[in-house]
Amino acid sequence: MEPTNTLFMAKAVIILVVFAITLGVAAYSTYFERKIAAFMQDRVGPDRAGPFGILQPLADAVKMFMKEDFIPSHANKWLFIMGPCLSMLTALMTSAVIPFGDTVTVAGVTFDLQGIDVNIGILWVFGIVSLGVYGILIGGWASNNKYALLGGIRAASQNISYELAMGLSIIAILMFSGSLSTKTIVEAQQNGHWNIFYQPLGFIIFIVCAFAECNRTPFDLPECETELIGGYHTEYSSMKLGFYLFAEYINMFISGAVMATLFFGGYDYPGYEFVANKLGETPAAFIGAGALIGKALFFVFVFMWVRWTLPRFRYDQLMNLGWTGLIPLSIYNVLVTGIGILSGQPIIAGIAGFVLLILGLIIYDQLTVKKKIA
Amino acid sequence: MTPVIALSLFGIINLFLGFTFKRQSLQVVTLLFIICSMALTAMDWNHEYLWFGDMMKTNNLSINFSLIIQLAGLLVVAFSNGFGKDEVYTQPAEYYAILLFSLVGALLMVSFQNLIMLFVGLEILSVAMYVLTGSDKRNLRSNEAALKYFLMGSFATGFLLFGIALVYGSTRSLYISGILYNLSHTAPESLPSFLYAGIILMGIGLLFKISAAPFHFWTPDVYEGAPTIFTMFMSTVVKTAGFAAIYHILDVTFGGFQKNWIITVYFITIITLILGNISAAYQQSAKRMLAFSSISHAGYMLLTVCANQPSTSSNILYYSLAYTLATAVSFAVLMVVAEYQTGRTEKPENFDALNGLAKNNPSLAFAFTVALLSLAGIPLTAGFWGKFFVFTDMFNKNLTYPIIIAVLMSAVGIYYYFKGIISVYFNSGEIEKIETSFLFKIALWSACIGTLVLGIYPTLLKSIF
Amino acid sequence: MEVSNYWYFLSGLTLLSALMVVLSKNPIHSVLYLVFTFFCISGHYVLLNAQFLMAVNIIVYAGAIMVLFLFVIMMFDLKKNIPDSKTNLTKLAGTVVAGSVLVILVAAFRTIQYPTPDESTFNPNNGMVENLGKVLYSEYLLPFELVTVLFFVAMVGSVMLGKREVGDRNF
Repeated sequence: MEPTNTLFMAKAVIILVVFAITLGVAAYSTYFERKIAAFMQDRVGPDRAGPFGILQPLADAVKMFMKEDFIPSHANKWLFIMGPCLSMLTALMTSAVIPFGDTVTVAGVTFDLQGIDVNIGILWVFGIVSLGVYGILIGGWASNNKYALLGGIRAASQNISYELAMGLSIIAILMFSGSLSTKTIVEAQQNGHWNIFYQPLGFIIFIVCAFAECNRTPFDLPECETELIGGYHTEYSSMKLGFYLFAEYINMFISGAVMATLFFGGYDYPGYEFVANKLGETPAAFIGAGALIGKALFFVFVFMWVRWTLPRFRYDQLMNLGWTGLIPLSIYNVLVTGIGILSGQPIIAGIAGFVLLILGLIIYDQLTVKKKIA
Repeated sequence: MTPVIALSLFGIINLFLGFTFKRQSLQVVTLLFIICSMALTAMDWNHEYLWFGDMMKTNNLSINFSLIIQLAGLLVVAFSNGFGKDEVYTQPAEYYAILLFSLVGALLMVSFQNLIMLFVGLEILSVAMYVLTGSDKRNLRSNEAALKYFLMGSFATGFLLFGIALVYGSTRSLYISGILYNLSHTAPESLPSFLYAGIILMGIGLLFKISAAPFHFWTPDVYEGAPTIFTMFMSTVVKTAGFAAIYHILDVTFGGFQKNWIITVYFITIITLILGNISAAYQQSAKRMLAFSSISHAGYMLLTVCANQPSTSSNILYYSLAYTLATAVSFAVLMVVAEYQTGRTEKPENFDALNGLAKNNPSLAFAFTVALLSLAGIPLTAGFWGKFFVFTDMFNKNLTYPIIIAVLMSAVGIYYYFKGIISVYFNSGEIEKIETSFLFKIALWSACIGTLVLGIYPTLLKSIF
Repeated sequence: MEVSNYWYFLSGLTLLSALMVVLSKNPIHSVLYLVFTFFCISGHYVLLNAQFLMAVNIIVYAGAIMVLFLFVIMMFDLKKNIPDSKTNLTKLAGTVVAGSVLVILVAAFRTIQYPTPDESTFNPNNGMVENLGKVLYSEYLLPFELVTVLFFVAMVGSVMLGKREVGDRNF
């Protein structure tokens, strides 16, 4: 085979594997979500299908496929079908630019463990995330149901609002790496120089925005059942509903992977050099891929942890947090990062900025509290 | 360039001052800001600079245009009374800040050296005007006007951009100097023919802004719907800046291709003159009449653009100044009278509302008369000499028919301008003494005296321009 | 496949979807076709090796502006059939004007000779984000900075117009 063809095959295999891992993780996320919820609420959780209920996702899938696939009579049929498909498509597309590992050599072919390495990687992620709302919006409108429409509209305004703060927090990262390529960003963080040490504030902003972009609690207003029944998926049943729910879990996993890439060194892990010396580059890279997936799974756990801990925001609180809280904060973060780079002490500047902010908040709070009492 | 930076900063400062300052002091501060930037503009007199990699060029011509534009801004701010009457629903800090920002856009339009700068300047000016047109947001007419202006204006911007793209495609440069160089170093036969389409499309985009005839449909509605103070701003600043840009594009940059665009522009000029004047004669509303009169004045100014003589730039300057002073005064008087008449008559902006103004308000009536005479082009006012210089240009170019039409249309103009004067002086009506602020009076009288002085000694400024 | 084949395919798709924007009866369909048109245009940017513009085109137009469009159109009651407000004369005039512009442009573009790029000075990486940034912050610094004034005006204006006033309802 020609080298380009082998490379093509290798890339195809990587994409397939990433696909499979993503879907598998998403399927088992549903199981673990219920298990974690059960643990937090001191229950047992699913335990009927297989040992510890381990076959529960399969049973759920069978149930989903077997249910009646219902399309409301006044719904816009094509758009109604298109909604969940778009959600699924956009959820899966993001993983293309995430570097799952360093260069590996398998059967004489050397390639990166990454779908595509484009020089605008992070913008690709950002672009696809901003498209993610179309599935919800279209599905919500096509259902011809007021609750669904309200859910879709909430999702749209929420996504647009939080995208701004998200973009601004990414800018601080880009100031360090000087490149939009995810690969370069990860390579700059090797050997423990993880961005989280330089960007504690940026990470907090990013994770909050990630919660909002994934429509997870405490930002799950689009499907808030106390107000909107099921939100945008009120009218959906069977596997179309399954697609929406699946897309949400995929989004969680992918955003965990993006966070690991941007802030937690990607496929870097302590002792990478040692393993590479002992076992060779290729196994080290594969362990790195495992490390990245592990980090991503940890974030999935954080998503669930928060879901079963915090109550939901009110809608105006959510908008206030986005526009008057996170956007100014992320601009402050860009400023602190700039000072750090200019002064040559990025870690000290980053942490000092964070501490100053907290101090400022405490002082402000104290002052206003005194005023309220007096 | 310094005034551009200064005005941008002043605008931001103004927004902050809005937190603490009172309405009247905001007005004074804004006046000081504009005077300061006028001083900065004048400091570059007799110097020719290129700024930021040939993006802008300031020379005496652009400084003259900048000064006229800022003078118009100064008059508008002085006439605005600090928006003091309506305490709850007006936001003077925002209004003044947007006015200052739009002056930035206008300054870019008079001194650009790169087509991108023209586009940015035009957009800053236009977006600010869309907002100000709709600023009376509880008024349906104002909302309608803003939407109409916005939709049509963005369409016109599309034309301008398409034209810029075609011109760039055929001359491979966005810089005026680069375009001129490439045009003069390429044989006319080998120039791609879409260059001419590009010139015409750019012309359409700019002619829309000055409301020349087939693109004038927005003007009466927008002028009538917008709050009068912003109509005043629109008809003075936007028009002057637009004409500076048109002169720069058609006469300076593409003057060598005059035969390709001249017929189109002739046609537009003549339609503008006829439509503007004839429709103005039919209006019952004084504000709408002034809107149509602004269309017709665009026609007169286009005449001198068509002639493209060496004196064209100074003629446009002179005409803009005369027109600015007269329009500002007439709108100002109309504004205070309409404010007084609101609630007293059904249509406070009609000619009837002006009836009997002279009895108790002789100064307002006199200023209004001088302004209308100047707009009509009666001797001893600035407007006369503006028209005179334009017609001289046409004579030098041997263009007889357009002159005949223009003179005929001036006669029509006298008819409808005198309608206003007649209702002020000869019709009976009850208008009590209208109290105006000190700044208002100063601005009114200086604009009036300016009109008369320019009418008596036209060479005074002609030697500078 | 040759690059030019991709170009023809993309251009055809762009034209088709742009036509559908105008022709489809349902405004929601129009908006979705418009989104698709933006994707096709992004494809053209990729063919020109301008990846940054491609991503920004998707983020800004497809991801933000068109979402807001959809947002607003969804609020309309589309079941109400609004009678066509344009008279036949307007339609005729519009057709004539658009048709003549088309004829002029086609006639103009038919005859031109595209100059072939000089291979010694041609830089295929011109559209990359690094080069774009350098140009924006050197040659085009002034317009780049002044665009901020434009956005600021738009921002101040929209806040001013959209702000809730005394006596307005909450929703």
